[in-house]
Amino acid sequence: MPRSLWNGTISVGLINVPVKLYSAVESKTVHFREVHLGDDAKVEHRRFCSAERREVPYDEVVKGFEVGDGEYVVLDKDEIAAAAGDPTHLISLERFVEAGAIDPVFYEKSYYLGAGKDGGDAYRLLHDALEQTGRAGLGRFTFHNREYLAAIRPLDGVLALHTMRFADELVPGAEIEFDAPERAPRDREVQMAGKLVSSLHEDFDPAKRKDEYRQGVLDMIERKAAGKKPRTPKEEPPEVAADLMAALEASLAGGS
Amino acid sequence: MARSLWTGSLSFGLVNVPVALYSAVRDLDLHFHQLHEKDAARIETRRFCSKEDREIPLHEIGHAYDLGNGKSVAVTDEELEAVAPRRTRTIDIEAFVDLADVDPVYFDHPYFLAPTGASEGPRRAYQLLVEVMGRTDRAALGRFVMRTKEYLVAIRVRDERLALATMLFGDEIRPTKDIDTGGRKPPRQQLDQAVALIEALSSEWNPADFEDCYRARLEDVIARKRKGKRISAPKPEKEPSPVPDLMAALERSLAEATGGTRAKDGSGDLGELSREELYEQAQRKDVPGRSSMSKDELVEALGR
Repeated sequence: MPRSLWNGTISVGLINVPVKLYSAVESKTVHFREVHLGDDAKVEHRRFCSAERREVPYDEVVKGFEVGDGEYVVLDKDEIAAAAGDPTHLISLERFVEAGAIDPVFYEKSYYLGAGKDGGDAYRLLHDALEQTGRAGLGRFTFHNREYLAAIRPLDGVLALHTMRFADELVPGAEIEFDAPERAPRDREVQMAGKLVSSLHEDFDPAKRKDEYRQGVLDMIERKAAGKKPRTPKEEPPEVAADLMAALEASLAGGS
Repeated sequence: MARSLWTGSLSFGLVNVPVALYSAVRDLDLHFHQLHEKDAARIETRRFCSKEDREIPLHEIGHAYDLGNGKSVAVTDEELEAVAPRRTRTIDIEAFVDLADVDPVYFDHPYFLAPTGASEGPRRAYQLLVEVMGRTDRAALGRFVMRTKEYLVAIRVRDERLALATMLFGDEIRPTKDIDTGGRKPPRQQLDQAVALIEALSSEWNPADFEDCYRARLEDVIARKRKGKRISAPKPEKEPSPVPDLMAALERSLAEATGGTRAKDGSGDLGELSREELYEQAQRKDVPGRSSMSKDELVEALGR
């Protein structure tokens, strides 16, 4: 098990549940580092003062906010901590909501909670009670110098914690503007499209789809390391169908 | 309207719709800048070649993959794009699933798709997908490549538009089997009490009920600092320890949650309220500096 990221307590009423926070996600993206093309040397990022045009050591760097044109308010460590929020390692669940009513768009990052010291029974109780009620608990906590709203819900036998986006951070659909078609889709088109959707229906299985591009990148790297030429697949760009009905019919007939 | 992050084609059977991708999230964070303490000038990052010790322009920088034996292979953007050229331009819908079957843990970043171009056919095809998918509560699964990474995506209808969410692949979600879930299965009576407590504290989910206190507090701290005030960080309070008698704690919690012995309107003992409740009261009374106050400071300010 990887190391926990944070240890604290969840409270519900007078019940306290000591917990450990773990990341639920492990990115498998192929990572690259920057190199200087030509000599393959490492690229270093160096800090320069824009006024003096000279390199500055890290201990001369402070954090500031721009409040006007070129005017900054500098905050020291203590002031940043003051803004961060209540530093107590406590997530107080004061409200519960139907877990299914929270649109997934509100969930930002996902974590798992494990039972902390002497917290086993209380952890189990909270998990089972949330599972039985189908609810998620909402509370705030401070993590990495900022306060988050978190939703806690049962997932796959454990408690999951999601940090939440706030309503004003979401772009309303109405802000995404485009021209509507001159005429609405005909019943017949809706019917055909409905059939096509049903013909491609399957049960969601997260294990079924692998990151093929990741493998493709690793294969390309391997070929290149071995001094071979990378494969360059030739693919045609998709045609934009002028006749929607004909395209739907052809799709249903088994083309793809 | 914000700029699109990617343009390409949404492909569904033989139907292709030219689309543009927009983020469904806006960044409202206040961003720190690095400054040089002495003259408050902005810090710039410059890239240097570690071998030659000279600054190098961006076009001389490539990506290298470490092979693990001290050797690395440099690759270019063109080579990365050539791995899957179609996918860099097309979101291919591979299947449709019931939206309810996809656990939210798989969703990563939310976007919207909008049809582009002036032709009638693709715009109608977009509308067609909105109607059909909205009616059946289904999500389309597809994939595409953006900025040298492949994304599995779920497309569904939200706000009468096609909403796209990038998804994590199955192997990127850590297994839960190693997570310590500790204790014993709770006795029936305890579980009933805990369920009753949760129900007593339940309400409708309304996202507008929650504001980003961090953002408000940071704005407040910056404003006070600008006026030359000194700000100090609240001290962490001691975490409450696990209670030895779960049943007794449940009974008392339930009595408090349902009996209304807690003072919600400031008529009773403020010390009994949570920081969140105190903060709400402070908001109503417009207590200055409330966002950076600790629980005790809020009690004191409200009690005056």
